[in-house]
Amino acid sequence: MKSKSSVNRPPTPDVLEDTPEREPTLQELINIKLIETGEKERLMELLRERLVDCGWKDEMKSLCRAFVKKKGRNNVTVDELIHVITPKGRASVPDSVKAELLQKIRTFLVSAAL
Amino acid sequence: MVYHSSFVDENGVNRACGCPLLPLKSHIKGPAPVSDQDRTDIVDEAITFFRANVFFRNFDIKSPADKLLIYLTFYINVALKRLEGCRTLAEGTKAVINLGLEKVPVPGESGFPFSGLFPLPQSHPEAGGQRSSVPNGFSFPPPSSAMSSNINGQILPYPCPHLAEFRRTSSKPFRALHHCLRIKPPGGRAAIRRDPNEVPCCAACGLSSPSRLYACVTCATVSCHTIAADGDSLSHAAAHAASMPHGHQIAVDVDRAELFCCACCDQVYDRDFDAAVVIAQTTASTLGGGSTATPPLQPENLRKRRRVNYLPWAPDLREQALIGSCSSPIDGATDDSYHFPRGLRGLNNLGNTCFMNSVLQALLHTPPLRNYFLSDRHNRYFCQNKSSDEGDSGNAGKKSGGINGNKSGRICLACDMDAMFSAIFSGDRAPYSPAKFLYSWWQHAANLASYEQQDAHEFFISMLDGIHEKVEKDRCKPHSEGSGDCCIAHRVFSGILRSDVMCMACGFTSTTYDPCIDISLDLEPNQGGSTKKAAASSNRTCNGEADCSSQNCGTSTLMGCLERFTRAERLGSDQKFFCQQCKVRQETLKQMSIRKLPLVSCFHIKRFEHSSTRKMSRKLDRYLQFPFSLDMSPYLSSSILRSRFGNRIFPFDGDEPDATNEVSSEFELFAVVTHSGKLDAGHYVTYLRLNNQWYKCDDAWVTRVDENIVRAAQGYMMFYVQKMLYYKASDKQVAS
Ligand SMILES: [Zn+2]
Ligand SMILES: [Zn+2]
Ligand SMILES: [Zn+2]
Ligand SMILES: [Zn+2]
Ligand SMILES: [Zn+2]
Ligand SMILES: [Zn+2]
Repeated sequence: MKSKSSVNRPPTPDVLEDTPEREPTLQELINIKLIETGEKERLMELLRERLVDCGWKDEMKSLCRAFVKKKGRNNVTVDELIHVITPKGRASVPDSVKAELLQKIRTFLVSAAL
Repeated sequence: MVYHSSFVDENGVNRACGCPLLPLKSHIKGPAPVSDQDRTDIVDEAITFFRANVFFRNFDIKSPADKLLIYLTFYINVALKRLEGCRTLAEGTKAVINLGLEKVPVPGESGFPFSGLFPLPQSHPEAGGQRSSVPNGFSFPPPSSAMSSNINGQILPYPCPHLAEFRRTSSKPFRALHHCLRIKPPGGRAAIRRDPNEVPCCAACGLSSPSRLYACVTCATVSCHTIAADGDSLSHAAAHAASMPHGHQIAVDVDRAELFCCACCDQVYDRDFDAAVVIAQTTASTLGGGSTATPPLQPENLRKRRRVNYLPWAPDLREQALIGSCSSPIDGATDDSYHFPRGLRGLNNLGNTCFMNSVLQALLHTPPLRNYFLSDRHNRYFCQNKSSDEGDSGNAGKKSGGINGNKSGRICLACDMDAMFSAIFSGDRAPYSPAKFLYSWWQHAANLASYEQQDAHEFFISMLDGIHEKVEKDRCKPHSEGSGDCCIAHRVFSGILRSDVMCMACGFTSTTYDPCIDISLDLEPNQGGSTKKAAASSNRTCNGEADCSSQNCGTSTLMGCLERFTRAERLGSDQKFFCQQCKVRQETLKQMSIRKLPLVSCFHIKRFEHSSTRKMSRKLDRYLQFPFSLDMSPYLSSSILRSRFGNRIFPFDGDEPDATNEVSSEFELFAVVTHSGKLDAGHYVTYLRLNNQWYKCDDAWVTRVDENIVRAAQGYMMFYVQKMLYYKASDKQVAS
């Protein structure tokens, strides 16, 4: 019988133990702050809504459908789909949506006094 | 000569159904003892002898082990059949594992191949023992967790070999994950966190905000799955799976609570896990209470519409004789200069009656309705409703405000429809006066009777209601409208809406289903904003839009309206609902979706705003874009649930229409009722599509128009018919 690792192991991951403690980057700090305050979830929700409203989601959906159709239903993995669609998706987010989100993040940073 | 089993020594070997439970070289626990890895077991023997034994029709049984050998030979044969058509090793492995996951009949059950060879099981445990020891090293999950390819008629994705292996080897798969499920706030998405405030980050690179973070379900290590641009190097999640001897391939997305196989690079689905997530999202798992999910109420009398093959009809001899003797030939020669299709006929305005004419034109060319009346399903000469004097006592009270002393029960709107269909399709081209119909409708809807301009949509609702009431008042059970089991009006136009109301405090969700005969949509988030009706009335619904801020893009579209209609809406603090679980009124989240699509979808755009507080009305003249071809699948309950709960197998969605069944969710526009002018002095005109040509029906005048004129029109009511029907029903008109 093989030995099975315990599922309820404490959260310390192995790999991190070998790497020396390093200062989190500013980006990571902001990210953690965003998560802790719940602001990230709110921003995500806003973004989802905007992307639906401007038709971005439908566009991505039809791109995905077309790809799956081309490759055949059973020959596509999620990873492949993400790999193919992500560049197109990033490129077609409207600038107004990006600007609005950036503005929201700025406002948050000011209010959080980071 | 057949090869016999060498396991003749049965010392200390248990039996089930006369069959020895021989040792197996398997690490899976079961009734059969574990054999030494370097010794041959019965499975090896069966494989070795297979090529020889498979040629013999008769096999004389020398020992009980021979029975097992026969069975295994048969089973190998089944397995080989499954391998046909598998082109890669991975495909083959998957096919065989799936075979192992299927339910195997034991002696005494139907489907068991060798009846008579084995004695029947004496007890359930014996059957269980038999079941889990029979085939070659695959143990069968107990029935409760048994995976099947087909549950509730729904085809499920097969588990990948890694997920199958993981399920087999862990005693309580995913149990530990249940404690890490976080739903925040109630109604939000499910996430995986070991403690509520954990900020997970990749163990290998420390990043906390890559797009995809996975936690290994075996050892809880969190890794990112950022695929390098070159696609060659492994992601940290894939590297983790590869670095372990085995069993670390399955991981869970920490932000979506969806399962992923890092070896297959694909999402995987586990029924039990998905059920746990959905239960956590719908009930108060955050309160620590036992997860007692009440399954959503199922609508009564909901039958799955089954697809039947199309059979062209041709009259048999008897019918031919009948047709010959009872009918006169239609003067089919389209000698009129317009070459308009039959049935296209103007309707005279009887004094501000364009509201009626516009709707009648749409109904006269609604394929299923037209087919019903033209095939003589409601014959005005034989109608029971008109002539019967009894049985209308129930109506008498309700209709006491009738316009004249005419005995109630004497009118039947369906009969008037029948007469109108006969006239419209008679071949006569002169405009028709629907005076008789108007008169009947006045009697039916006494409160609306006047020579003033009326609302076309109100007329539509009230006349369908009239057909329903008169035709089906005896036969119709309450609440059967939506099930397609009612009068012709409901069979054509009735769908079922699903409404979920979720308590924002505890997450308890109550689900209700209501029949609807059309969908009323808000043109845009209106400025007044606060006069939203909370609940759908019995046969109409009010669109509740979520917010007023999302108007950043130009033209509104019908799809946009439908998207808002099905969007989750937080009800204001003034509309608290009583939560069955909290036992107090709480703030709630409400979401509408379409449970069952009607054959014909009518969308009513709320262009007329009536404000009771300000004692005024106004008309919204904004343009709304509507497609000629509409896919309704995003607004179906199944799609809405999927976007709420993530991509998973639902414990209760056997009763939800399958969103992947795209054929019946495809609709085609065939009529548009438009309104031009002011609120009270406007004019209704209908655009109709017949034989792929658009016609404008403006009371008595019918003209051919370009489709761009239709696209530019200010739609008030849009009529869509399911494409699947359309393609048989409308391409060829009744003529020919
Ligand atoms: Zn990483
Ligand atoms: Zn692991
Ligand atoms: Zn896999
Ligand atoms: Zn009748
Ligand atoms: Zn009815
Ligand atoms: Zn509650």
